Amino acid sequence: MNHTVLAELVANVFKVVASPGDEVQPGDMLVILESMKMEIPVLAEVAGTISEIAVAEGDVITEGDTIAVISS
Amino acid sequence: MTAVTTQAVEIAEIDPRDVEVRLNLLLDPGSLVPLHPRDDSGLYAVRGMVNGSPVVAFCTDALKMGGAMGSEGCKHIVTAYDLALRERLPVIGIWHSGGARLAEGVEALDAVGLVFQAMIRASGRVPQISIVLGPAAGGAAYGPALTDLVIMSNAGRVFVTGPDVVRSVTGENVDMESLGGPDTHGRRSGVVHVITADDASALSEGRRLTDLLAAQGSFELASLGADPDLGALLPENRKRAYDVHPLVSALLDENTFFELHAKWAPNIVTGLGRLAGRTVGVIANNPLRLGGCLDSPSAEKAARFVRMCDAFGVPLVVLVDVPGYLPGVGQEWDGVVRRGAKLLHAFGEAVVPRLTLVTRKAYGGAYIAMNARALGSNVVWAWPGAEVAVMGATAAVGILHRKKLAAAPPGEREALHAQLAAEHERIAGGVARAMEIGVVDEVIEPAVTRSRVAAALAGIPPARGAHGNIPL
Repeated sequence: MNHTVLAELVANVFKVVASPGDEVQPGDMLVILESMKMEIPVLAEVAGTISEIAVAEGDVITEGDTIAVISS
Repeated sequence: MTAVTTQAVEIAEIDPRDVEVRLNLLLDPGSLVPLHPRDDSGLYAVRGMVNGSPVVAFCTDALKMGGAMGSEGCKHIVTAYDLALRERLPVIGIWHSGGARLAEGVEALDAVGLVFQAMIRASGRVPQISIVLGPAAGGAAYGPALTDLVIMSNAGRVFVTGPDVVRSVTGENVDMESLGGPDTHGRRSGVVHVITADDASALSEGRRLTDLLAAQGSFELASLGADPDLGALLPENRKRAYDVHPLVSALLDENTFFELHAKWAPNIVTGLGRLAGRTVGVIANNPLRLGGCLDSPSAEKAARFVRMCDAFGVPLVVLVDVPGYLPGVGQEWDGVVRRGAKLLHAFGEAVVPRLTLVTRKAYGGAYIAMNARALGSNVVWAWPGAEVAVMGATAAVGILHRKKLAAAPPGEREALHAQLAAEHERIAGGVARAMEIGVVDEVIEPAVTRSRVAAALAGIPPARGAHGNIPL
């Protein structure tokens, strides 16, 4: 099953931490966003393999945008 | 051997949806006392104990006309509420019901309405907990919704009109689960406070919540043990967001934190737990989600929680790390002003002991909304280095000194900005100024926070708000 990680708010992509193919556990960091003058980690909610990272560092993303897809 | 075999057969013959089976799982063994003989009304009301605390409980009978509610059954509920109000007992309702009995027509509607009225009369006076174990439709949906806390098992469904009606009226194709299942109500609508994997855990979570509200205990400061260093639970990088749950759990007695509305509006964390043995309510910004910003659902979620705690005399601990209100057209159109006002109102009217701790920052309007001194917080503390301001000093001088900064040579601009920010911090921001004007009482060390919070709350005279708990 594919689990899509969506952006919750408008943000800059500050760092991409995980890569496609990585095995992740709930709580593992996928990317770090920058918004509200803070660095906000986006964490995996499910265990699985990352099949896609849909953002690159420096991207501006908005609420509802896909950040990553995890296959479990 | 024979006895064991017989017992196994008996258990297999009793339907797990039987009202007595369900109520016996909720209540202490052997404590169930019927309030009326079992009948065909589709409802069974009883009294009993939860962890030794007396309670009133009722269960809709899923095995009789799908738990549909008629006038007889509704009378049982109203009588149970009368008893609960007279004896000041919590009421726990177990729901599995298709709503009002069609055959009874308007008489059933009137009876369901009288159940609602009984719930509203009891609101804020005795704790009301609902446990939804099956479909609860129509009138049966609003029953749980009127109560203080709603628990839903994986099989629970709550909706006003079922999938068939929805399809015929709007053409939307939806099954019962996506229309009103645990994920829908736990994450999207906020109707349900707690979702569980099965019926048994829904009933045991109901017991835990009942215990937290019915047997609140008292602060036993001697029971505290060594203080944990709560500061270690925050990232070193002050700009980095973090999950606030470990901080909440470490502040409370071990394994006592019971989160409510965990998946809905996760940028604010609300829940009950015990501190030095006494039940307290915790409200905490969660920087990991939306940066910890307040927005319209989170303000509403916290407001309802504050009012529930106030109604039942549960002291409040408020952990503040908030960058402000979430900006955006969506928020304004979603009524962030109206729904945010609920949180101001809830804190402002609360009379229970209240303590606010600013761990990192409290900015702008959100500073006030998070139980500021101005709203009557008994105690306001800050951790070393915390910021209390209209906004961060760097951002503030960017606005206040826009022209001056623009006029500076590009090479010197950054240094000037930093210098102005430091000056601004001295004059307008920072905890020092907040302490001068009496809106922060003290800077306390993270390593003594747990015991200091318990001692401070223990020292404030207990009180309890006199108001209902409208499901905001």
